[in-house]
Amino acid sequence: MTDKHRITLTVNGREHSAEVAPRTLLVDFLRDDLGLKGAHIGCEHGVCGTCTVLLDDRSVRSCIMFAVQADGGQVRTVEGLADGARLHPLQDEFWDKQALQCGYCTPAMLMRAIEILEHNPDPTPAQVREGIASNLCRCTGYQFITEAVCAAAARMRADTGTTAGAQA
Amino acid sequence: MTTVDRSAPPVRTHKSNRKWVGQSIRRVEDPKFLRGRGGYIADLVTPGMLHAAVLRSPHAHARIVSIDLTAAAALAGVHAVITGGRAAELTEPLPDFGPDPANHTWRCLAVEKVRYVGEGVAVVVADSRYLAEDALALIEVEYEPLPPVVDPEAALAEGAPLVHEPLGSNCAYERAFDFGEVDRDFAEADLVVRDRLRWHRSGGQPLETVGAIADFDHATGDLTVHTNSLSFTSYLFMVAATMRIPANKLDVRQVPAGGSFGSKLFVTKPLVLAAMCSREVGRPVVYLEDRVDNISNCDHHGSDRVYDVELAVMRDGTLRGIKIDVIDDYGAYIQFGVGHHGNALAQVTGPYKIGSVRYRVRAALTNKNQQGAYRGFGSEVNNWMLEQMVDKAARELGIDPAQIRRQNFIQPSDFPYFIPTGNVYDSGDYGAVLDQTLKLADYDHWRAEQAKAREEGRYLGVGLISAQERSVFSATEFWFWFDEPGAPVTSMPESVTLKVDATGAITATLYSCAFWGNSPETMVAQLVAEEFDCDPHDVSVVYQGSRNGLPATGPGGSRTTVMLAGAVEGASAKIKAKALRAAAHLLEAAPEDMEWVDGGYQVKGVPEQRKNLAEIAVMLHLFKHSFPEDIESGLEDSKVFDHPYTTMPSADRKDLGVFYPFMGHACHVPVVEVDVETGAVKILSYAAVHDCGTLVNPRSLAGHIVGGTAQGIGTALYEEFVYDTDGQLLSSTFLDYLIPSAMEVPELKIGHAETPSPYTPHGIKGGGEGGRMMAPAALNAAVNDALAPLGVRVTELPMTPDRILAALRAAR
Amino acid sequence: MKPPPFRYAAPSSVAEAVDLLVRHAAVEPRVLAGGQSLVPLMNFRLAQPGHLIDLRRVADLDGIRVHGDYLVIGAMARQSAVEDAPEVALTAPLLAEAIGLVADRTVRNSGTIGGSLAHADPTAELPAVALALDAELVATGPGGIRGIPAAEFFRGPFSTALAADEILTEIRLPRREGGHAFIEFARTHGTFAIVAVAAQIELDGGRISRAALALTGVAPTAVRATAAERALVGATPDTAAIAAAADAAVSGLTPAGDVHASATTRTELARTYVRRALDLALSRAQDRR
Repeated sequence: MTDKHRITLTVNGREHSAEVAPRTLLVDFLRDDLGLKGAHIGCEHGVCGTCTVLLDDRSVRSCIMFAVQADGGQVRTVEGLADGARLHPLQDEFWDKQALQCGYCTPAMLMRAIEILEHNPDPTPAQVREGIASNLCRCTGYQFITEAVCAAAARMRADTGTTAGAQA
Repeated sequence: MTTVDRSAPPVRTHKSNRKWVGQSIRRVEDPKFLRGRGGYIADLVTPGMLHAAVLRSPHAHARIVSIDLTAAAALAGVHAVITGGRAAELTEPLPDFGPDPANHTWRCLAVEKVRYVGEGVAVVVADSRYLAEDALALIEVEYEPLPPVVDPEAALAEGAPLVHEPLGSNCAYERAFDFGEVDRDFAEADLVVRDRLRWHRSGGQPLETVGAIADFDHATGDLTVHTNSLSFTSYLFMVAATMRIPANKLDVRQVPAGGSFGSKLFVTKPLVLAAMCSREVGRPVVYLEDRVDNISNCDHHGSDRVYDVELAVMRDGTLRGIKIDVIDDYGAYIQFGVGHHGNALAQVTGPYKIGSVRYRVRAALTNKNQQGAYRGFGSEVNNWMLEQMVDKAARELGIDPAQIRRQNFIQPSDFPYFIPTGNVYDSGDYGAVLDQTLKLADYDHWRAEQAKAREEGRYLGVGLISAQERSVFSATEFWFWFDEPGAPVTSMPESVTLKVDATGAITATLYSCAFWGNSPETMVAQLVAEEFDCDPHDVSVVYQGSRNGLPATGPGGSRTTVMLAGAVEGASAKIKAKALRAAAHLLEAAPEDMEWVDGGYQVKGVPEQRKNLAEIAVMLHLFKHSFPEDIESGLEDSKVFDHPYTTMPSADRKDLGVFYPFMGHACHVPVVEVDVETGAVKILSYAAVHDCGTLVNPRSLAGHIVGGTAQGIGTALYEEFVYDTDGQLLSSTFLDYLIPSAMEVPELKIGHAETPSPYTPHGIKGGGEGGRMMAPAALNAAVNDALAPLGVRVTELPMTPDRILAALRAAR
Repeated sequence: MKPPPFRYAAPSSVAEAVDLLVRHAAVEPRVLAGGQSLVPLMNFRLAQPGHLIDLRRVADLDGIRVHGDYLVIGAMARQSAVEDAPEVALTAPLLAEAIGLVADRTVRNSGTIGGSLAHADPTAELPAVALALDAELVATGPGGIRGIPAAEFFRGPFSTALAADEILTEIRLPRREGGHAFIEFARTHGTFAIVAVAAQIELDGGRISRAALALTGVAPTAVRATAAERALVGATPDTAAIAAAADAAVSGLTPAGDVHASATTRTELARTYVRRALDLALSRAQDRR
């Protein structure tokens, strides 16, 4: 009934090529076709942000985007953050500051935080808080997330050029 | 006069130097979530799995005339389409703790008529969720709309359309209780303060919905279910009965939940839908609610109450008695009965020495999704109501809000304190918490700012509330509503198994879906580490399914940490007893001459004569013949920890017994500015001090306080399931059900106080719900304080711009 | 909430896109820009286009440039690019202020200027900006290219002057003098504005020489408050004049109430926000002199 389209995209540095139905949402493509379960589904109408991934260095809502719209793009997801056993500083600070409780919004928050810090490596807490207002969290009330992002930003500024993070 | 059994557990002495309890260690749960490998229900893939989707009713109240499945069933990729009528042939009604399940029967899909917008009428099973939804669109249902009943007071009136005809009424339960000398206290009062208050329903709305993967094996008759809602495992035989299978063929396995806040408490409908479908098609079936399913059909809306209250007060501010008449709009079913009012009765008089209570509750049925559990489970509403009344009394008497509270507080020397309903408050120091909060809040500074702002024509308000946060419910609160309860159950346990392996490493097994975003694994790891002097991150925590698992209740009523602490303590004691015997035997010493020190047993005064846990364990595992005959190989034991302090209600119900004994307390002081031109409320500052006894992981509790307060902000200002006069659900998506973002939640200043419980391990009390139990009351108090110069009191939540502007207009 | 099936094409030119609209006219074709409005509707199955024509590959449709006295923005310019562009802040600060209020940054990364205008959501910010600045919306169809004044573009809720076979390709915003203000009342961050006001006011010799005022949330589309504008032009910008303009702006309005705000509340909010927008625009107009 509907034709499939071939798409090619890079996800966390690795190229993938697949035939997808046009209506396949990007979040379902990532989760079901590529087995990357970190992007979560919370609302499927673009409000809560738990599906957030980076596409060509910009955060996007993968639940209101079709996989075909990411053809030729570079996607980054939470699965690409840690370097083997070594966590990314953001992940490590989320752990240290208890910036997660149920963990459902966490991958999205991490990817959004990556974008925030790539735009501005030295944000104030107020700027971080406004930045993460794009993503809902129902557990933490955002306070420890804000602390974690600020702490990670400081570490990332200090560690520029080196990889850092605890083993987990 | 009534007499009741008042036997309390023994008062404990708590050890003063703790190594792990009290440390804000990194959580042991986190690494997988940080990497996006949480293993939530939607992440699980079973080979051959099919997908279910539910067709929801567009009508609030309608007879189902016919359902035509032809086109849907013929769609390629569809394996089954099941209507409510067919489901009623395949399954029994769902487990129901309501007052009259035979007459307000609740099934997994509507049969004959629909009772709310969103109620399921059919379920489709297909190769993918996409295809299942394509099939839903092809199902043709003919409805005959019936007049809806939406307003709870209208529902209780003569001649209202009946939600359940067999019940003969929309009043599912009505009773008035008297505790203490109500009439005398009111006759002697100098002033009776009256008010009518309205709290509209909101709900947990975690970012993850409910889901279940069911796999019915026709070869063995086994039904295996993975779900993010596993609780009350002792009651899962009821689900087996729904599915008409032997209870020992049902295995429910937990999966981490992406938040719950009550809304995943004993959620059986998705499980039954998935199981019924799996049995029909002979393959595993996943049913995952989407967001609209969850908002409209989750069976976990929060309290929805109309209060008429009278508070008897003396001129000097002494609070004497309270008469509460509450109508609670339960929606179309009433799965937990009026247990939410048990939660209220556990702390109905707050932290005050109020001597008498009349509590009349009416449960109204309407054409809405039913209530379930939402953080506070009905006690947060009572906190709000009571604090509103205390503030009103203070205003009418010209007494400062802090002062009126202070002078009525139960004093530290009064504990254990029995409130008029019969429940006990185990310990507390309310004056100290108030003092700490006023300081943290910079109270005097904000009062000065408020005065300055008023001169500029701006309206700042300081809210001050002192309220209780009960923890660890007993089973009795579900049935003391009836003089002759059908099932006066008394078990509400939690279990833990500890195994020490041949290397001395410890594995703890838990038996319910304890992980909702709380930290059960971290709690257990810290508690085990405290017992055995190991590192919490070296403790392995696993979960066991229900079939061969021990009895467990799971989270709810802030019970998890206390109950796990009791279970860990009990299991540890058994293991240590065996280890002691083994060590004594190996060292040829008398057990009474030995002591546990630093991870092992040693002879008192002779530290070289010692066996550490690993040395004991390897011997016990592998060297049976080194021990007396009666010592079995291995080193593993369990504790089924039953509720440690429950007493029975009196026959006349003038004393409900002890059912929620571990009583935490908090004080919240928010500062708001109300824009009187727009009705917008901005939070300028927020201080909160909580006393939940001894804290296992202070940072973890602080996180719950912030998160709970954020939900309380939602309840106070933004969140409401709005049904119009036709019963249409107007807030069915996140575009209209407004969850606070990081811009709506301020940075909180959090303080901790610790008055240990005399009755629990380490003096721990529960505290996970506390933030939400305080914030709505605190914010309403702040708004009313801001608008007091204009003669405005807001008595309805959420305080939307519409309601605030209407109150301002009315006062002009 | 999965979308229904559809056919999909990603043409590489506007001509090709128009041709696809014509050829597939019978199956309800829709243009796909950022999808931030369309895809949620499809997930709810409230929109069921038979064919989606994705403009992502069409070259040169996302430019942001100053051309004489105009800011010219390609329809596919991402809202976040417009938000970050210095040309926009300099040439059309009203747009710069408004765009930061559209949903949140993540949505703005995908959402486009053209998509938002063509979608014509009555609560959206950009139509109000287009009206206040007298923008020209350039459409391309099988018959060629035409410019549609903003005043004629918004016909009703989710309804514009675009023909079924036309694609919005460019927006031209004239540079304005004076002071701007775009403010809105939303209940939570990122959710739809209940009421929004776009104001662009010019002063000359202590009096208001030009006034443009557009409102959302009070009518089936964004609207210019022409009665208020007439009251303002020639007036001294004092408290009385501003209050009179606010009254004029809401007089005769019959907004529809909904779960977020009743009709009465919307009218009151509009009055208050017109006043506040005028205060802000005027103070900026003073600063600019």
